[in-house]
Formats: sequence, structure tokens, C-alpha cells
Amino acid sequence: MNILKVDWIGALFALAALAAIPLVFGSSYIIGVMTVALCYGMWAASWDFMSGLTGRENFGHSLFIGAGAYTAGFLNVNFGANPWWSLLAAPVVAVLFSLLMGFPTLRLRGPYFALAMLSASAVMQNLTIIFSGYTGGQDGLNGLFPILDSTLAYYYLTLGLLAASAVVLKLVANSSWGLVLRAIRGDEATCQAAGINVNFYKIVSLVISAAIAGLGGALYAHYQLQVGPDLFTVVLSINIIIMVYVGGMGSIYGPIGGALLLNVLTETLRGLSEYRLWVYTLVLVIILFFLPQGAIAPLWRRIRFMFT
Amino acid sequence: MTALLQVKGLNKHFGGLYAVRDVSFDLQPGSITGILGPNGAGKTTMFNLLTGFIRADSGSALFDGHSLVGLAPHQIVNLGLARTFQLARPFSGMSVVENVEVACHAQRVRHFGMPRKRAHALLEQVGLGGQAEFEVDVLPYGDLRRLEIARALATKPKLLLLDEPFAGLGAGEVGPLADLIRTLHKSEGLTILLIEHKLREFMQLVHEIIAMDFGEIVAVGTPTKIVRHPRVIEAYLGTQDLALDMA
Amino acid sequence: MLQILIYGAVISAIYALLAVGFTLVFGVARILNLAHGSFYALGAYGVYALTANLHLPLWLAAIISVLVVGVFGVLVERILVRPLRRSMLAVLLITLAVALMIEQILLLIFGSEARNVPSLVDTTHHLVGVDISGQRLLALASSIIVLAGLWFFLQFTRLGSAILAVSQDAEAAQYMGIPSDRMYSIVMGVSAGMAAVAGVLVAPFQTVIPGMGLLPLVKAFAIVVVGGLGSIAGSIVGALLLGYSETIIAFKVSIEWSQIVSVAAVLVTLVLRPAGFFGKRAAF
Repeated sequence: MNILKVDWIGALFALAALAAIPLVFGSSYIIGVMTVALCYGMWAASWDFMSGLTGRENFGHSLFIGAGAYTAGFLNVNFGANPWWSLLAAPVVAVLFSLLMGFPTLRLRGPYFALAMLSASAVMQNLTIIFSGYTGGQDGLNGLFPILDSTLAYYYLTLGLLAASAVVLKLVANSSWGLVLRAIRGDEATCQAAGINVNFYKIVSLVISAAIAGLGGALYAHYQLQVGPDLFTVVLSINIIIMVYVGGMGSIYGPIGGALLLNVLTETLRGLSEYRLWVYTLVLVIILFFLPQGAIAPLWRRIRFMFT
Repeated sequence: MTALLQVKGLNKHFGGLYAVRDVSFDLQPGSITGILGPNGAGKTTMFNLLTGFIRADSGSALFDGHSLVGLAPHQIVNLGLARTFQLARPFSGMSVVENVEVACHAQRVRHFGMPRKRAHALLEQVGLGGQAEFEVDVLPYGDLRRLEIARALATKPKLLLLDEPFAGLGAGEVGPLADLIRTLHKSEGLTILLIEHKLREFMQLVHEIIAMDFGEIVAVGTPTKIVRHPRVIEAYLGTQDLALDMA
Repeated sequence: MLQILIYGAVISAIYALLAVGFTLVFGVARILNLAHGSFYALGAYGVYALTANLHLPLWLAAIISVLVVGVFGVLVERILVRPLRRSMLAVLLITLAVALMIEQILLLIFGSEARNVPSLVDTTHHLVGVDISGQRLLALASSIIVLAGLWFFLQFTRLGSAILAVSQDAEAAQYMGIPSDRMYSIVMGVSAGMAAVAGVLVAPFQTVIPGMGLLPLVKAFAIVVVGGLGSIAGSIVGALLLGYSETIIAFKVSIEWSQIVSVAAVLVTLVLRPAGFFGKRAAF
């Protein structure tokens, strides 16, 4: 059996397992935790598609998340629009942000792109606090309407959108587009010498990454039923990067696994709230020193090897 | 016959230093021309200027009727001007064939389709067919040079710029590479401009030599004429007296 | 107006201490040290612990605190950062882990309420018509002395020259017999010590809570980017610019707008002049 087939079969199993979770663990608390975890999965996968493949690490991914979430907030709370519109508008707004920030910053080399995106999200965070009249300031916007009334149905909606996004991202990553992105990671100058318009590929990838992150942001907003400036923080961006690291950069599916794992881990440790951050940090240190390729993707590759 | 490349008055300085000063020359289609000069003569800088990696301060460069000044590197490649690098930096973490396949997606050649197939064929052409599936990081230095050439060929260039293709090669590897260049020159109808230090192979390969020193062209001529040119000797060996002493 | 002048000077001086240390580490060891703010916090908490629990005199507590944090910085570099040097992202994440750990430890030991650190100089002075505490003036004076001391150290001592050499070309320095690895540790120690000095100086008049290191880290970052990563002169100029911009805006507009200055400055600098205004990637 070839690698691709095994990959898709594995993905189906994972999807089935995730779909089965609410049926096995009925409580709405668990469904809620998993819904949030799925949102993180979308954010991690979208980060991986751009930064994991090209190696241009984006430290301001929360910019797109907050943009999507606040779009949902504005439409729903300030304009009373039907919540379904959020799912359409959020990615569009996130894309606009990515174009606005992408053009001036993607030509920057090394850590400068990362820093620029980081400061962009920090600027947005501050702006949402300053213009509290529109955004609700520190308290944010409250009283969003849920898209679907049942938490169970919402879980499946989120799962469906995550699965669809993951499929799209993986297909593109496996295509010649992904090949070029990996080459950009290898050496940008050589890419240019190969006749590739590097900036074009970087911008389009950032746009795709932003769209999915924004969609995830809207889904999150309509689950929490509120949005706040903490959606623009650096902490959020870094948490997502850690999830990608745990999952295995560049694999798309690894980061989703990493997101699920870390969300579940932090929830189970919620009881030991003081030690929660310790464990998080410990996981990070373990990965950095002992598993630099991540945990999930290499594990899957081992399993896959047994079938091919 | 109109020259394929017409360079006039190309200038580039860094800080107060002129890296390339008032360089002008023409390349006829189908020719193999070599650039000779000691380290720091401005050869690679000129390559970088022609291929868009650095912007010239003044001067013009017309390739196949198109002006090259101000174009981005990938745009120049898509006009038909390809180059190899002196220090090959392949796409690490990818296989050998993937390294070539990337270039098959350049706008100029995308319409040919079947990028993987083309890449394999190109590897065969340069003699790397057997290593196609290897991780590019395991390739020895000599093979990396061939890979560079395959990558450049993938974009179906009319003009190929080779930056010190023989550098770092052992005695036994230089001959086969020179043969490969000769073969490709004929089979692909290429015009070639190369920089090189290794005189012997160089002399047998090129039709004409442009000698540079301190960023300027000091002599142009056939290999036999150039090697006796006083300014060339001076650039490489010091004054003429010293050269005579050694004769 | 004069109030702005004096208060701005104090803030700028503290910022300069933090920024110069941060840029030193980047310029020499090529590390973006996210634990820099933690060294600052440790300096403040060190003084608190030594005076409140061990009842040491303030000046002694200050010195011990700075030295201990300096050594701690060396250890962090030696044990945690050195093995990961090949990947910049890994180093970033490990320093982040250190920062998180330290914050958690401080939270565990000292709890989340703000701690009180007594002033070294408990006076109020009346300077050119402005009331200012003696502690703030001390902070200003001490910062200037420390920075001047650093300059002398780098320019006139053998070790200082070695450090400058490593910042220009680590490999070449090694050929000259300078152990680059050891230089990295030393620089980290000096940088940590400077951050600790800043923490010690401001502890009497700033809120001492476990999370106090975050904002200074952001400010140091911003200053270093604007001034140029790796440029000491740039950091000092940047510190003055940021310190005064924030003070002016805080006085004239609002506190909230003053907080945006640092991050907006980073963004603008990166888009317009990514190397910063004094920056070359390597040397000072």
C-alpha cells in the first residue's frame, strides 16, 4: 500500500474517532473542550501551512484569529446580522489583514518577518483597547448568538470545517505548490534562480493561512459567545507555535494532533491550576531537547511504515 | 547577427569601492565566453548584476531585446537567462529530483507539464539519473555542480551563466564536467558565459575570453592571445619582469 | 514640561539598561532572549526576599541580588541555550520556557499580591521646580554609571575586546584563540546582571508582581529593533526615543495610547528600515 493511501485511511480513522467522541463522552463539558480544541487545530494547521512549509515563522498568527473573531463580533452584536454570515465574512477580513501586513513584511528576511507580524498583532491588541467605544475595550464584545443551538451540532459543524480545511491544506501541501514552498524554505535565492516568484508564493500562502485562521476565529467566537483583546495576544500565537512544534512542523496533520493533545492536557490539569503551566513548559522543554521533530508526525510515520 | 546579450557601461559600487566599473561587452548567440580575473575582480558581482540579484548603479544590459535593469531575478530567468551559483545551496531536506522539479514550475516552462518526468530526464542529461531519489544533502560536491546545471537547464535558457563550475573539483572530475558543458552547448543550443580560475580546462572550452581586474575589463580576445596579454599577466602574476623571470 | 523632562529621563535610563543588555546578547550570541524580563523580575524579587526575609541592609541585598542573577544568566546559557544553538526557534522557545518557569516559581513562592520594597533613598527632592523622589534620581544616576561602566569595559579591557571581536565574527575570533562559547555565557551573565540592576532600582516605585517582566521585555525588544539589533548606541538612542515618547504621550494624551508606542514603533521600523536606525546585523 502506498504512503498516500495509508495517510488518507489514517485521516479517516482520526475523523471517525473525533466524530465518535461526543457519542462516547456525552457531557457537554467535554464537547465544549473538544470544540475549542478543534478551533486550535484549525489555527495550528493554518500556521503550519504557511510557516511550517516555508520556514518563515509567523509570530503574529493571532492577528488573523482576532480579525476573524472580531468580525463575527461586529456583525453579530453591533449589526445584528445572522451569525452564519460570520463564517463568510471572517475569512475575508482576515485575508485583508494578511494582504495589508504581508506585502510590506514578507520581503523581510530572517527574524524580522516574525517580529513584524508579532508587533502587528500587538498593535491590534492595543487598538482594540483604545477604541473601546467600538470594540468594548478590555471587556470585548459580549452576547454573540450561537450559530447552532445545540452544542453537539456545533461540534460537528466545527469538526466538518476543520476536516475540510485540513484536506484542502494537505492537498495543496502535497501538490507542486507545497514543493515550491519547501524549496523556499531550502533557499530563497536558489528559488529565484529557478525562475520562481518567491514573493507571490509567500503572499498567497499567507492569505490561505489567514483565511482558515480567521474562519477558526469566527467559530471560536460563536462558541464562546464573546470576543476580547486576548485574541490578539502574542501568548496565543506562541501557544499555537508550541502546538505545531509538538505535532511536527510541516505535516499539517501533526499540528492538529498537537493542538488536540495540548488542549486536552491543559484541561485535565485544570484541577491542578497552579501546576498547569509547569506541565506545559515541561512538555515544551522535552520536545525541544528530545523530540525536535515533534511527537505526533514522527509517531504516525512509524505507524505508517508498518503498513507500507 | 544581433548579439544575444549587449552590456554597456555597467557600474556598481559598494561604499566607496567600485566593484564593477564601466563594463561593456557583447555575447553572440551560440558562443562560449569566459571571464577571467583574480579574486575581487568583480566577476561574480557582474553575474549578480546581470541576473538581478544586485541592482546596477548605471549602465544597460539588453538580453534578447529585453532590458535587464531593474528586473527581479525570477523575471530574468523567465526571459531565458539562467545561472548557477559558485556556492551551490540546494533545497535542503528535499530529494535530488525534487530540487530540479521546482525549476520545472517556472513560468517559462510550466506549460510543458509533467514536471517530475522532465526533472528525471534532466538528471539523466547531466549524469545524475541514478541519484534522483537521494536526499540532496548526501550529494558530493561534484554532483552538486551537475545538479546546479540541471536546475538551470530546467528553465530552458538561451543564455547560461556558470559561476566557477570547476571550483573545488578534483583533477579527475574537471574533464567530465567540461565535456558535459560542451555536449549541452551543442544539444541545447546554449550561449554560455562562464567564470573560472582553472586555466587549462577554461582555455580549451571557451571561444573568447574577457579579462577583468579591479572591476574593469582589461582585455578581450581568444585564449591564446589573452594568455600573453601583458595586463592579464600583470593581474595574475605581478609585473612583467616577474613573469619573465619565471619563463 | 519640566516634569516630562525629568521623568522621561528616568524612564529612558532604565529602558537603556534593559535594551543595551538585550542587544548585547543578540549582537554577540545571536540570541533573542525572551527570559530577559525574568532577570529584571528576579532582581526585584531578590532584593525583596533578602531585605524582608533575611533582613539584610538594602545596599547589600541589591549587590547580592544582581550577582546571583548574573550567575543565573550564565547558567541558563550554559545548560539550556547552548545545546539548542543550531535552531533560532528552539532557542527562542527555551528562553520562553525559562521565562514561564520563573514566573510560575515566583508566583508559587511569593504569591500574586504586589510586594513592597523599601527605597534606598527615602527622600523627595525639588529639582528645577519638579518634585521627584530620591529613589528615582538614584535610578537615573545608577543607570548612567552602569552604562558608562559597560562602555569602559568593552572598549578598554581585554575581555571587552574579546566580546566585541566575537560579535563581529565568532569564527574568526575563535581562530584568534577567543573561546566564543565562553563569551556567550559571559555576555548573558552581564546582560542578566544589568537587567537585575534595573529591577533592583525600580522595585521601590514599581509594582513588584510575578508577571512584572513581560512589559519591560516588550519595551526592550521594541527599543532594540528601532535602534538596530546588536547596536549599543542604537539602543541608547532608542531608549531615549521610547522613554520620552511614552512619557509625553502619557502626560498629554492617555496611558493607553502610550502603551501602543512601543509596538507601533517596531512595526513602522521593520516596514521602513528593517535593520533599525543604527543597525548592521553584526558589530556594535
